[in-house]
Amino acid sequence: MLLSLALRNIWRNKRRTLLTVSAMVVSSALLILALGIFSGMLNDMLAAATEQYRGHLVISMPGYQQDREIFNSFVPDFVLLEELDKDPDVLGVSPRLRGFGLLSHGHNTYPAELLGIRPRKERQVTNLEKHLTGGRYPAEEAADEALLGRGLAQKLGVEPGDELVFVTQAADGSIGNDLLTVTGIFATGDTTHDNSLVLVPLAWLQKVMVLENKVHEIALRIHRPDKASVLADRLSALLPGQLRIVTWGSLMPELQEAILSFDASRLIVAVILYLATGLGILNTVYMSVMERTREFGVLMAIGMRTWQIRLLVLSETLIMGLLSLIVGCGLGAFMTLYMQQVGIDLSRHLTPITYAGSTILPRLHAVNEAGNYLLPAVMLLIIALLAGWLPARRAAKLQPADALREE
Amino acid sequence: MPLIQLTDVEKIYPLGNQQVVALSEFSLSIDKGEFTVLAGPSGSGKTTVLNLIGGIDQPTRGRIEIEGRDVGRRSTRALADFRLRHIGFIFQSYNLIPVLTAAENAEFTLMLQGMTKPARRARIRDLFADLGIGGLENRKPRDLSGGQQQRVAVARAMASHPAVILADEPTANLDSQTAEGLLDLMHRLNRQHHTTFIFSSHDPLVISRARRIVRLRDGRLEDDRVQQP
Repeated sequence: MLLSLALRNIWRNKRRTLLTVSAMVVSSALLILALGIFSGMLNDMLAAATEQYRGHLVISMPGYQQDREIFNSFVPDFVLLEELDKDPDVLGVSPRLRGFGLLSHGHNTYPAELLGIRPRKERQVTNLEKHLTGGRYPAEEAADEALLGRGLAQKLGVEPGDELVFVTQAADGSIGNDLLTVTGIFATGDTTHDNSLVLVPLAWLQKVMVLENKVHEIALRIHRPDKASVLADRLSALLPGQLRIVTWGSLMPELQEAILSFDASRLIVAVILYLATGLGILNTVYMSVMERTREFGVLMAIGMRTWQIRLLVLSETLIMGLLSLIVGCGLGAFMTLYMQQVGIDLSRHLTPITYAGSTILPRLHAVNEAGNYLLPAVMLLIIALLAGWLPARRAAKLQPADALREE
Repeated sequence: MPLIQLTDVEKIYPLGNQQVVALSEFSLSIDKGEFTVLAGPSGSGKTTVLNLIGGIDQPTRGRIEIEGRDVGRRSTRALADFRLRHIGFIFQSYNLIPVLTAAENAEFTLMLQGMTKPARRARIRDLFADLGIGGLENRKPRDLSGGQQQRVAVARAMASHPAVILADEPTANLDSQTAEGLLDLMHRLNRQHHTTFIFSSHDPLVISRARRIVRLRDGRLEDDRVQQP
């Protein structure tokens, strides 16, 4: 009957209850949406950093990721590549050779980073093909095709079909140079890559740099980027002694920090938002308790214990909290789903922002994650209970005779 | 041994910086089955005596015993339990819980005592029939007349078979005919169940129907006499 009494008390003043529940619903739904967009931004940043260039895991010689030393190369073991390919947690394996040099077209010459790839394998690891603004991705069997960033293409003044000259210092000390044909231009929004990166056939770059059959790294794309360290530990057992495997987090510690700080950030956002909501609930429950002072006096006079009075008031706030939670999560899920499917494109008003070694894209896009519901849910219930605690305490502390004298 | 014994009871209420003496050197004995009215003008201390006997207020000085146990020195929890098991309250303005039905109001004490729902419902059905309000079980207080509400309040007070029923100005909001009916009912319950009734009232009708009249003035006992029926 206590629960029934609590439920009926909630509906005594329907307008006030609806206003309080609405405040809780709106705050929890907006929080879920905000956290979904926050998660979406971080996912975009992680994808921009790993799926446009680096990969989630990278196998290379010790020190190569720090100094990019040309001689720190290795011959990839065919069996190793097969095993990595077959691993159920691995989505793609791409051997790469990296060279730095000068690219020229006509009178224009600019420094560039050339990444020698096998197009079919690289497509499984990075998604530059999705960012083409002109031309096409290099063909698998092509000998001298180049895909370059829009910034670099604009500086060089080239379009698909134009020729480029690449000059670099080869591994044998000679000057390596050769012609390339522009087949495509990409734009990721990350100025570092858009202004300097060029994808070329692996065999072509091996020949120019006199590093036959050699690569500098093997990039991997995996199912669970958040579990990269665990997979790295497992895969390191497959590697020959001199090779090392590193995670995206080790390669981009700033980005890892930014993602790890998300938990603290969302807690802060939730606390600020719910503080205001909590004060609203506190006000409502306090008013409700004050109005029922005489009634609490009657309940005490007929034998209700103080803990039952406290439980009654707390049940009322908890029921309002649970009701708001269900509706708020539903509304939050609906809005998050909409932002996941449709999103808002801000590229006409904003340019991409480079941050923590990655890129924040000019769009609002959400992802649905369990954690983005769990935190608002738990916090809403805690806030409801805290907001109910003070009025419940006040009601329980009433002296029956004094309460009965209240008008 | 009397059912209720008040010995040299004093009750002082703080009022700002002053102290108001509501009851002073007040002693009273009430036996089981009495039908007593505490009479006197407003502010004479009638409600204070009822509150002290009912354990919803505590004396500043003196001793209050119910069935030989000191009520004035009990913990909050023990007092709540004492009220639940031994006391029934009837208030001037009925004080029914507006969101509960008549039956739910009446069975509330039984619920607090842990009685099962079927047993509660059976008890309330019998009680409502006995009090002449059968068929009104599912009505909310706002859908009942004043007299009906006060009968529901009597049912709530009677439900758990308390030793004492304390009624604070129970007829104050009722017309004389309804008040007469309520007093008849209480007389009958007093005779049938030997329940002790203590009223506070300055209503001549209530005073004329009581067997014992305890008059108070300015917080002191003025007169205590038994009248013939």
